[in-house]
Amino acid sequence: MLLFVVILGIIVLLGVTLYNSLVAKKNQVQNVFASIDALLKKRYDLIPNLISTVQTYMQYEKQTLTEITEIRAQAVSPQITDDQKINLDNKISRALGGLMVAVENYPQLKANQNFMQLQGALNEIEEQVSAARRAYNAAVTDYNNAVEMFPTNFVASMMHYTRKQVFEISKEQRQNVNVKNLFNKN
Amino acid sequence: MKTLAELKKYYQSDLLPDLEVLEQQRKKIINNLSKTAVPVILIALVLMLLFRNAVVFIAIFSVVGLGIAYNYLIRDYVFNFKREIIKKIIKSIDAGLTYQQSMHISEQLFRESKIFSRRPDRFKGDDFVSGLLGKTKIEFSEIYAQYVTRDSKGRTTYHTIFKGLFIAADFNKEFKSTTVVLPDTAEKLFGNFGTMLQSWNKTRGQLIKLEDPEFEKLFAVYGNDQIEARYVLSTSLMKRVVDFKNKTGKKIYLSFVRSKIFVAISYHKDLFEPKVFSTVLSFTPIKEYFENLRLAVDIVEDLNLNTRIWGKT
Repeated sequence: MLLFVVILGIIVLLGVTLYNSLVAKKNQVQNVFASIDALLKKRYDLIPNLISTVQTYMQYEKQTLTEITEIRAQAVSPQITDDQKINLDNKISRALGGLMVAVENYPQLKANQNFMQLQGALNEIEEQVSAARRAYNAAVTDYNNAVEMFPTNFVASMMHYTRKQVFEISKEQRQNVNVKNLFNKN
Repeated sequence: MKTLAELKKYYQSDLLPDLEVLEQQRKKIINNLSKTAVPVILIALVLMLLFRNAVVFIAIFSVVGLGIAYNYLIRDYVFNFKREIIKKIIKSIDAGLTYQQSMHISEQLFRESKIFSRRPDRFKGDDFVSGLLGKTKIEFSEIYAQYVTRDSKGRTTYHTIFKGLFIAADFNKEFKSTTVVLPDTAEKLFGNFGTMLQSWNKTRGQLIKLEDPEFEKLFAVYGNDQIEARYVLSTSLMKRVVDFKNKTGKKIYLSFVRSKIFVAISYHKDLFEPKVFSTVLSFTPIKEYFENLRLAVDIVEDLNLNTRIWGKT
């Protein structure tokens, strides 16, 4: 009888530990995703400023600028899903990248103090976003390992935890930047 | 001055004349040393024969006495050597660097780095170099930090926390968190199980698992902010740190604390000390001083600290 109680106790204790570790891992994923969200918002906040600085100099890049403004408007609207967020983030990263390449054609803009500051700030946020993405992927990998590996996988299936997706580079981003296409847009 | 060939030229044209003066001084010291040592040893032997039950005591006493005499005799020589030779080598590496031979990195800065969690009881060092390289403020010195233990019989023993070169520099990004990069022993020995052990080690903060496998094999990273740790340790910096570690071939520790980077490179011997019992004229030791100094100074370039595109000026 005593033996039975001891074994039951051990099983319960083990279950609780596994359960808690899974919850901690899931929360870690959510936590990092929230940070990404905050960083993305910070970047979107910079964009109107950037556009207004750049506009006066870049006469031939109107379409890129409108595209950026549009993506931003979608991204800051409150009712979008996480997947859409990621999608829009990819789009805007690409558009901003294109814009920065195009800047090379406008020496006056490149020398503008205001623009240089904005560029520095954007670079910084870009670096932070990429760090946050890596942190997210690490957290997701940790979580996915727990969901699939023995013995946590049993508990995970009871809790209906399923694999999560890591951030991936979109097909467009994986290709090298095609500078020619960027300029022939108009 | 960057290369060995340049150093060799510099050694022949600028350092040799000074070295020759120092060599004379060194020969004089050897002479004086033997003049002191021979009678001391003779007297000690005679005393040992007379008082056989105090042999150990006499031996210890004479060794300590000789040690004190040795340090006293070479003091001026070491001082002159550092003032002439080490200072010149440093100036030749970069004119913006200053050298203070008897100063060292402050204990406060050493502890601020959070690399070594044990508080030192004895903190020594010398050969302090500081200056501005490009946009990066850097300072480094030799450090010898120890802690003390007392056993039940009241005997005290000193244990080394760290001995070697300790470098502090401005980092090129702004951040608030603490990230510590330590040599990885557990993972090397136990593989994945080692990683598990590391994640249980809560004294250092959270274990930060990074995606560069080569980096992960060499180092274990702890920090208090998962995202900022990755902001600091970008993929390119990880690669640079691995290259730097391979270049030194030594055990290295790094930490990133409030927009500063600290690097500790451990050595077993004292650095930048002149030879006493062999000629000071040879090129090999000069080369060694140069390479060790270069290693510290090169951190700025190797870790790309002068690239300031992230809003920090």
